[in-house]
Parts: sequence; structure tokens; C-alpha cells
Amino acid sequence: MNPPAHADIGTQLITLLAAGMLVCQLLLVVQRMLLTNIRLFALQSLLLAAIAGVVAYFHNATHVYVVALLTLVGKVFFLPWLLNRLVRRIQIHQEIEPLLNAPTSMLVCGGLTLLGYIVARPFTSLERLGNNTLAVAMTLLLTGFFLMFNRRKALTQVLALLTVENGVMLAAVALTTYGMPLVVELGIFFDVMVAVMILGILVYRIRETFASMDTSKLSQLKG
Amino acid sequence: MTVLTPILLAPAAAGLACLLVQSRRLMQAVNGLAFAIAAALGIRLLPQVLARGTVKEWDDFLCADALSAFMVLLISIVSLASSLYAGRYFNRDLAAGVITPGRVREFFVLTPLFVAGMFLVVLVNNLGVMWAAVEATALSSVLLVALYNRRTSLEAAWKYVMLGSLGLALALFGTVFVYAAASRENTEPLPSFNWSHLMSVAPQLDPRLIKLAFVLAFIGYGTKAGLAPMHTWLPDAHSEAPSPTSAMLSGVSLKVALYALLRFHILTTACLDSAFSRTLLLCFGLFSMFLAAPFILVQRNLKRMLAYSSLEHVGLICAGIGLNTPVTIFGALLHMGYHALTKPVLFFAAGNIHQTFHSLEFRVIGPGVVKVLPATAVLMALAAVAATGLPPFGLFFSEFTVLSGGFAANQTFISVLMLLALLASFCGILQQLTRILLGAPKAERSGDARPADGVPAMALLLGGLLLFSVWLPASLRQLLEEAASIIRGMP
Repeated sequence: MNPPAHADIGTQLITLLAAGMLVCQLLLVVQRMLLTNIRLFALQSLLLAAIAGVVAYFHNATHVYVVALLTLVGKVFFLPWLLNRLVRRIQIHQEIEPLLNAPTSMLVCGGLTLLGYIVARPFTSLERLGNNTLAVAMTLLLTGFFLMFNRRKALTQVLALLTVENGVMLAAVALTTYGMPLVVELGIFFDVMVAVMILGILVYRIRETFASMDTSKLSQLKG
Repeated sequence: MTVLTPILLAPAAAGLACLLVQSRRLMQAVNGLAFAIAAALGIRLLPQVLARGTVKEWDDFLCADALSAFMVLLISIVSLASSLYAGRYFNRDLAAGVITPGRVREFFVLTPLFVAGMFLVVLVNNLGVMWAAVEATALSSVLLVALYNRRTSLEAAWKYVMLGSLGLALALFGTVFVYAAASRENTEPLPSFNWSHLMSVAPQLDPRLIKLAFVLAFIGYGTKAGLAPMHTWLPDAHSEAPSPTSAMLSGVSLKVALYALLRFHILTTACLDSAFSRTLLLCFGLFSMFLAAPFILVQRNLKRMLAYSSLEHVGLICAGIGLNTPVTIFGALLHMGYHALTKPVLFFAAGNIHQTFHSLEFRVIGPGVVKVLPATAVLMALAAVAATGLPPFGLFFSEFTVLSGGFAANQTFISVLMLLALLASFCGILQQLTRILLGAPKAERSGDARPADGVPAMALLLGGLLLFSVWLPASLRQLLEEAASIIRGMP
């Protein structure tokens, strides 16, 4: 298959947008205000939707437009709205001191980014569009894990999980020509929506029962 | 006549119907009916699979081979027994005021959806949809784990959903890599992501991608299957969930995740033609067995001890498959079946004990359960004898098959290790349970002991276990042999 002549514009666009997703992730790692974190996640998802849109345009793949639209509706508007509402209902706006402070976290994430690039290096030749998108996807996965262990508020952990999910979707776009089959994309989309709703219910119940959503208080079960 | 579609639809419809129904009795009947229908259809599926190899429906979207048919039987039988047990169990909980009617309704709505998700995992042909279905089973069971809304159950549910989702995110990454490998050879839009198609092109797939995909899927689905060291959610979730749910989680949900893992294992072996994936299975299986044994010995909580025993059995199944001889794989599959019939009985008995003594701590339950709850204690003792692998129960034969297969394949060192781990948990379980079951009770219990509750469900499973231990029907044996050859990559 010969890519269209203007595909290099697409490549550059995707590389730029993927880099933007990485920047959002790093900002998330250092930001402690929950509402800002939610906005950063929404921005990251917007960039992901844009990448899907670019892929759809340059490959003329109609069903990838559907993926872009789903991401836009679900992750840019619906989930941030849902999480915002949750923050207002439980009346907790700020993350307490994370395990590692901001500069150290940044340093760790720098290392993880390097690791992501090293892991992805043997596979760069497999990428369809864009450079190093797979590396960015790997980095989102690793820093997402770090974010989850570094933060103690249940809600931030949910956001960390969602950024890992964004990383996987980015890998799907980077590695395959036309994205995944629509039925799979729909299944994943539906699962993520339900997951966040259920996590929201749990966060709310934890807040009601423990008068906090600090997950370090969840430590009775051992051995 | 189509079979696969109704197997999926019956529990899904039951779940939705329970949303509309008011009466608890009716909800329970609807649940039981749906699982009974699924079990009957599973039995009908058996000869079809044996005659044709694979049964496909909906333009190949659903596809059942011998391995799927076996899983369908396990899921439907365990969920049927669980629904039989659940009615009385929740009546007693309601009477004791530890649960609200709304929550009981939640149970009867979510359980069939959970079961439908498991059926979808084992019946769907597409690996991406299989991932979505595994995730759906995790999500539908989270709220079941948190059903009691105690501090500890919320903690368990949070750990379960967080570790499960992280693991499944990795598994999705693995699935994406498989898809990338498959679409590489194929430039048409929407190349097939179907299992049957992937297997036919397996030798041409990019081995590096498949290897990476397997590692990710192994960690991901391994977390859900409770393999050590990703098992940390397992004892919490199994001990905090209501007993019917614990039985389902331990009896079949772990094995459904293992099934997803096995599909990746088969694909990887077909692509790489090396021992890479089965070595991983063997190592993690052995590690799980060894990790479980000391935790069983020092455990102070009944259901947590049972959860660690499940960890040990899952480890044995993985190790048996990792040894990769026809005999050990057959033994591992047999073990899967017998364990699914045994473990729920123990969890049901633990539920009865919990409701009578209001605790799961061994020192509170104390000695002498046999005086307070004679039927429960006897059935529990029988199930414990079965679970530790003593004759005449089937787990003895399946463990024996795996071990003798290991020795026959000259894997003496590994087989001896397995034997040691089995022995350690054997001592642990029997010692712990004799301490609470036998002897004289500490104080006179008031009249809240209802000895007959839950006995039908337990007797059904134990009877089935005993029957299949002494008499394995020819068709079932053939099904298991075919499933074993699928796992060995020789359909």
C-alpha cells in the first residue's frame, strides 16, 4: 500500500499531537488540584481524538472517524463532566502530599520516559504513521502506573487508570493501519464508561464510610 | 439448532428481568431458571462440538470448540448451585439486618450479567471482544464484592477493581499487539481479528510482537486469574464477598481468566514454536503453589484460607499445562473441573458458619462446629477431604494424573516440588479445619443455627463430584482429550 503523497504532513501532525499527550501526562504528575487534573485528562483525550481524526483523514477510513467521535464524546466531555460532578459532591478538591514530591516525581517520570523509548525502539519500524507514537504510548502506560502508586486520593487513581487507557488506544492507532475493528472499539469504549461509573460509585461509598477518599486508609486486610 | 446464542441470552435476559421484578422469590427463580437453561444447552452443545470440532454462529462471531464447551459446562453448573444457595443465604442476612433489600436485588441483577460475561469470554471468537468481556466480568463482580458495604468490603472491592483494571489494561496492550501483528500481513481494511483466523496465520506473524503481546497478556490475565505474585487482591475479594459470589469467583471466574490466558498461550506456541510461553506458565504456577502453602498454614480467617487454597489449585492447573504433555494437560483440565465442583461447597459452608457465628476468624468460631451445624460440618469436611486431594474424590485422580505425567516426562524435580507444595497445603487445610469442626463447642449457641440451610446446593455439587470421580462419561472424557490437544496446539 502506497501512502498518499501528503502523508508526511500527517506524520508530523501525529508526532506533534502525541508529544502533546505526553506533556499533559507530565503536568498531571505534578498537578495537585483535582479539577485541573480532570481538565488535563480531558485535554489529553482531545489530543487522542485529534490523532484518530488525522489517521482517519489520511487513510480514508470512515470507521476511525467513529472512534474519534466516541473519544470526543466519551472522554473529552462525558467522563470529565462525571468526575467534576463527583468532586463537587464529595467536596474534596486537593490531593494531599503525594508519596514523592513534585521534583522527584518529575525525575522519575523522566526516567520512565527514557525507558518507554528504549522498550519501543525495536518496534518503531512497525509504526504506520507518526514517529515514536509507540514510545509515547509506552510512556503513558509506565507513568500512569507511577501516578497510581504515587497518589493517595481514589479519584486521582481513577484518572491514572484512564491515562493508561489513553496510552493503549494511542498504541492501537500507531501500530495498526485502520485502528481496531469497530466492534472491539465499541466494546472497549463501553467498558471504560461503565468502569468509571462503578469507580465513581465506589469512591462515593468510600468517602461516605471512611469520611475520606484517602486510599492509604484502606489497609485493614492483610495476609 | 442454534445453541450458543441462547446460552448467552438466557442469563443476560434474566439479569434485565430482575430489574423489573419486585419479589425476591421471583428474582431467585428467574436466576435459577436461566442458569438451568444454560446448563441444559451446555449439555446439548457437547455432542455438537464432539461431532463437528467447532460450532460457529453469527457469521463466526461466536465460536465454540472443546475447550469452550468444557468451560460452558463449568460456569453453568457452578452458577446454578450458587443461585440455589443464594436465596436462603440472603433471607438470613436480611433477617439479621446486615444487608438491605436493595442490595439483595443488586445481587440478583448483577450475578446473571456476571455469568453472561463469562459465557461471552469463552464463546466469542474475536480476541478484542474477549478482552471486553473479561473486563465486563470484572466490572459486574466489583459491586458484588462490595455488597455488604462494610469498610473491609469496600477496601477489598477497591483493590480488586484497581489491580484488575491495571492488569486488564496490560492485557489490552497485548491484544493490540496481536492485532498489529495480524494486520501487518493484511492490507485490507478490517482484517479478521478472529481466533480461528489468527491460528491459521500464526506461523507468519511477527514473532517479536507476539512475544511481547504474550508477556503483557500473561501479566494482565494472570492478575485476573490470581497467579502469584499478582494475586494480592484475591484473598481480600474472596473473603469479603457474600458467599455465593465467593463461590463463583473462586469456582469459575479465576478459570475464565485462565482460559483467556490459555488462548494467548496457544497462539504464542503456534507462532514461536518454542517453550517460551509454557515455561512462564510452569514457573508462575509453581510459584503460586509454593506461595499459597505457608499462607494456608498461618491463616486465621476461614474464607481467606479457602482463597489461598484456590491460589494453590490455579497454580497446579498452570503448572500442569506448563509441563505440556498430553497426560498433564488432561490432568490439569480434569482438575479444573473437579475444583469447580469442590470449592463452592467449602464457600457455602463458610457462609453458613459465618452467619451462625457472626465471624470468620478461627478463634471466634472455635471448636465444635459439628455440634452446632452438623450437616454443614459434615459436608464441609467431605469437601475439604476432596480439596486436599484424598481419594475417593476426583481431585486425587487429577493431581495424580498431573504428577505421574510429570514423572513420566522426566520432569522429576518439578514433580517433586509440586508434590511438596501439595503436601504442605494438605496438612494446612486439614489441620485448620479439624480444629474448628471437631471438639466440643465453647458456649451454648442460641437458636440461630439453621442446620438444613444450603444443604441442597452443597449436596448437588458434592454428589456431582463423587459421581464424576468414579465415572467419567465417555463423551466428557473425549471432550477433555480434545481440549487438551487444542491446548497442545494440535487440533
